[in-house]
Amino acid sequence: MVKPVALLGGKSALYSIIAIAIALALIPLVLGYNMYYVYLAAQVVLVTIMVLAWNIIGGYAGQLDLASSGYMALGGAVSGLLLAFYNVTPWLGMPLGALTAAGLAFLMGYPTFRFGVKEVWYALSTAALVVILQRVFWLIYGSTEIYMPIHRWSWYHLRFSRYEPLYYMLVVILLVTLWLNIRIKNSKLGYYLTAIGEDELAAEALGIDTRRYKLYALLIYASILGFVGGIYVNLTSIVSFRMFDPWLGIVVAVMGIIGGLGSIAGVFMAAVILRTLEEYLRSMFGATIPGIHLLIYGLLLIVVGVLKPEGFAGFLKYFRRRLARGGSGG
Amino acid sequence: MGSAILSVRNVTKRFGGLVAVNRMSMDVRSNEMLGLIGPNGAGKTTLFNCITGVYKPDEGRVFFEGREITGLPPHVVVKRGIARTWQKVRPFKKMTVLDAVTVGALLKIPSVESAKERAREVLEFVGFPKEKFARLGSEITLIEHKLVDLARALATGPKLLLLDEVAAGLRPHEMDTLAKVLLRIRDELGVTMVIVEHVMRFVMNLSERIIVMHEGVKIAEGTPKEVASDPRVIEAYLGTKPV
Repeated sequence: MVKPVALLGGKSALYSIIAIAIALALIPLVLGYNMYYVYLAAQVVLVTIMVLAWNIIGGYAGQLDLASSGYMALGGAVSGLLLAFYNVTPWLGMPLGALTAAGLAFLMGYPTFRFGVKEVWYALSTAALVVILQRVFWLIYGSTEIYMPIHRWSWYHLRFSRYEPLYYMLVVILLVTLWLNIRIKNSKLGYYLTAIGEDELAAEALGIDTRRYKLYALLIYASILGFVGGIYVNLTSIVSFRMFDPWLGIVVAVMGIIGGLGSIAGVFMAAVILRTLEEYLRSMFGATIPGIHLLIYGLLLIVVGVLKPEGFAGFLKYFRRRLARGGSGG
Repeated sequence: MGSAILSVRNVTKRFGGLVAVNRMSMDVRSNEMLGLIGPNGAGKTTLFNCITGVYKPDEGRVFFEGREITGLPPHVVVKRGIARTWQKVRPFKKMTVLDAVTVGALLKIPSVESAKERAREVLEFVGFPKEKFARLGSEITLIEHKLVDLARALATGPKLLLLDEVAAGLRPHEMDTLAKVLLRIRDELGVTMVIVEHVMRFVMNLSERIIVMHEGVKIAEGTPKEVASDPRVIEAYLGTKPV
């Protein structure tokens, strides 16, 4: 049985998910079904999924994984190449992408956890994984961009002349990932992962098979990313070596940290706000001063880091306390 | 006196050229409260780490309830029934006190709700203040940390509890409180205990049997009185008398 869990104060998790679902469903309407804006909204939802998936390995289990973009691109490549070359539907390609990403995660995680690779060394090895995947892809397919087939409106190919269908698919995956986060947090798995994230040796001494549980977290994380990769390639219509983007892997981890490791609401808000802001800054200043959005973005990260090391979760807690005080006073 | 619940046989652990534990043997009897004392660097914590699987001994064997546990990883050793606390507390800072103890209880109770219930009972048993169950690990005092550490280990349902300097850093009246809790754990829960200390007073009052280690070897064994008057023990603690 799922106990109602406070996501943003007193409301139950279910209500929060429904509220988020309604808000996200209305966004294309609010944006006036403008193609470009809906595309950006889909990008924001995609990054939010990535950060929520990362929260399981990075937030709960405390492993600074920087390979999220690698797992997503791998899943995307599997699904995209099957579609482009063999006309295989992404409905099959996406689960296969998830499986491939999970397989790679196992190959990566088993030895890393077996030999106790931790902290910065773990971060470095996962960052290297993305670069290696990029090089391998480049060796096979070179720098050519592989285009997805063009269809005006095909649910078989998941190819559409508008972005709304993919946007809504991403919203569904986001909600599932959110639910999964809440579910894990309140389960034995969540308690164990959080303990591992806090102090691995103490966790081990309480009977937790830390290697096994870290591997569980890594497999869940990689599967979600591998799955969503199939939608990503259909959103951009291109499979290329550039998808294996080490920078994106870092951004996802940074958002998870800024959100307040392990705090579902904080991580959710950090991803939505920071990604939207980045896009806004790019469109406002990107043309006049190239790269300025990255500078402002970076400054903001420093400010949050200095003022509230516990991230957005800290701000949320503060507001919740203020609200509670106001409520009891009035 | 009961039979040996834990047997350490000729355990040696080296770090490079340093022999931290040197052919150490000892028996822990069922339901006793054994004191393991010795000056700093005597090898007590290393011995604990060899028993609990944090280190693999270079030589020697460890038996628990007649079964060999030498070199088993820590999470397996706990499942067999040996829990421990830490010399330097290793708190779960971002978890509430109740959740931290729940992690321990989850070893034998798979349901989170029941494990939480068990955690509440254990916290109350060790005398942790009820109104602070929802505090975060980063918000409690040292004695409270020690109690949480103890409750966390106890929640795994051990038969043997290894306590690594539980009394270190505590004020005298806090030590008395803790001593009472330890006695209750042994008498009411039937948990055997090994208490590592280098502050002698605390163990001397609690344990009926004491083993003294110095530079990795056992130099004395006996009642607190016998041990305290043993010349080798006095020498180890105070050094030789100048001629």
